[in-house]
Amino acid sequence: MGRGFEEVSHTADVALRIWGRDLAELFINAARGLAWLMADPDTVQPTVAVPLELTAYDAETLLVSWLGELLYRNERDGTLFTTFEIEEITPTHLRGVAKGGPAQEIRQPIKAVTFSDLAIRRAERGLEVTVVFDV
Amino acid sequence: MAEKKDFRRVDRFIWELPKEAREDMRVPARLFADAELLDAAFRDRTVDQLINTTTLPGIVRYAMAMPDFHQGYGFPIGGVAAMRTDTGVISPGGVGYDINCGIRLLGTYLEQEEIAPYLQDLTTVLYRACPSGVGGKGRVRVSGRELDELVTQGARWALKRGLARPEDLAHTEEEGCMPGADPSQVSPRAKERGRPQVGSLGAGNHFLEIDVVEEIYDPEVADAFGLRENQVVVQIHCGSRGFGHQVCDDYVKGLQETVRKYGIQLPDRELVCAPIDSPEGRAYYGAMACAVNYAFVNRQVLAMGVREAFEQVLAGKVHNFDLFQIYDVAHNIAKFEEHEVDGRRMRLCVHRKGATRAFGPGLPQVPEDYREVGQPVLVPGSMGTASYVLVGTRRAMDLSWGSTCHGAGRVMSRHKARKKIWGADLRREMEEQGIVVRAGSNKGLAEEAPAAYKDVSRVVEVVHGAGLACKVARLRPLAVIKG
Repeated sequence: MGRGFEEVSHTADVALRIWGRDLAELFINAARGLAWLMADPDTVQPTVAVPLELTAYDAETLLVSWLGELLYRNERDGTLFTTFEIEEITPTHLRGVAKGGPAQEIRQPIKAVTFSDLAIRRAERGLEVTVVFDV
Repeated sequence: MAEKKDFRRVDRFIWELPKEAREDMRVPARLFADAELLDAAFRDRTVDQLINTTTLPGIVRYAMAMPDFHQGYGFPIGGVAAMRTDTGVISPGGVGYDINCGIRLLGTYLEQEEIAPYLQDLTTVLYRACPSGVGGKGRVRVSGRELDELVTQGARWALKRGLARPEDLAHTEEEGCMPGADPSQVSPRAKERGRPQVGSLGAGNHFLEIDVVEEIYDPEVADAFGLRENQVVVQIHCGSRGFGHQVCDDYVKGLQETVRKYGIQLPDRELVCAPIDSPEGRAYYGAMACAVNYAFVNRQVLAMGVREAFEQVLAGKVHNFDLFQIYDVAHNIAKFEEHEVDGRRMRLCVHRKGATRAFGPGLPQVPEDYREVGQPVLVPGSMGTASYVLVGTRRAMDLSWGSTCHGAGRVMSRHKARKKIWGADLRREMEEQGIVVRAGSNKGLAEEAPAAYKDVSRVVEVVHGAGLACKVARLRPLAVIKG
């Protein structure tokens, strides 16, 4: 399915354009993009698997919660999540597993996931969204 | 999309976009800039974001951007907007994630030559004394109950713990304690993130710097602030760490539904808000005030770390190693303030996002010993370049709700800066200029390279020329510590 994300320019912060065939692929690519921004995912040995279940007001809020959850756990435990499985997803609910391990070097510390112009849109390649991260 | 030609020059440094420019604007938009800085506004989304800000319910007069403006999220950085308290809204997107990110300036009794032999050692000890990095643990660990007291009492908590002096509080915006803090409106996760981080710098553009006063522009005001030429001073730039980030995150998410409940139409979801006079608006204010207080304590604890480091390295070697507090200002905040609107005093909720309060002389909010001259305004430049101390003006009260710029303002993305600039080269260049550098990573240094920012002197000339604040002193870095 290719990389599923690319970095786009933002004056002060960092932003990723993310795409996927469906909501599950979009969410997985977004999480992989976040890991790629923060560190070299190839240096991470997945030694931890964390089950996650989230509910939110709508799909965009769910996406912010999903990425925010991974960031929070990175700050708390030092785990960089690089591999993801989504078992069930609707625009307001997600159940899945995130796998990861300690990263050798954090190349880009990320502080928060913003709602800046956040909108999941239908596109040629399925769904597309641009996420701005506060750094 | 608004273009440069749509802006009307209303004064030498003020450019106004009439509210007719976009259908959903409630008030005009104003940019403070000279011709060159104005061009920068059209190279990113600054103007769109400023126009978006004009659409917020209850906004009074204009949405404004200070001359260090650049694209942010929600409000542009450098954004200032005041809302009526009866019909207006409060917006976490108008404050930002790093609530009460701000600057503290400490003065010394030392001249540059006196610390020169000890500068390397001093910088190393400071680097250890002031922990950095995103998840970096702070100098002080607090229990859950202590954290509730800390965020309610702000700098007064630090005073009780022996981590502040009474005169530090007197020289802090709000005396280091924002009223109305309500820890019951803060999530357990924010508290969990906040507990281990009290007294830490964090990452990104946060820094600690030893500077020398290179030039005095206004000797009378400089004297009132305790500044003199060739004096060594210290700047601390940081905010409310994971605590403030989580508060913002919780409310930006939580208020998405609230916006619909109150029928508020928004052009950008990051501008999410709640009526000031609503349970949701009061809850955000109560939580935000906690984060404001957390940040005041954070900088206070770091200031005590700086004092300890100076003592450790300089005791017995210089005549006086002590540091006194000149001032501490917030640059990401929403506050209730009284201002004059059409000849009437009015209570407003002033949002400053990447903007500094710059109250003029005579106001009770200005510390007593500065009241005759006005409030000190601290404007750090980009890393390795100049910083400025300014003073608030009466004119700023009329023009910008008593607000001015907060720094140089970015012009280049971090991504581009990392690609274009080698951190190692930058480190060498700074060291060749005699600046001592301690940084977590060269990549982090590259992102904060001066080339990624506007020229702070140009920004300061605009605020000085527009009368938003007046120049008092310029600082030059001797040592830079970065997360």
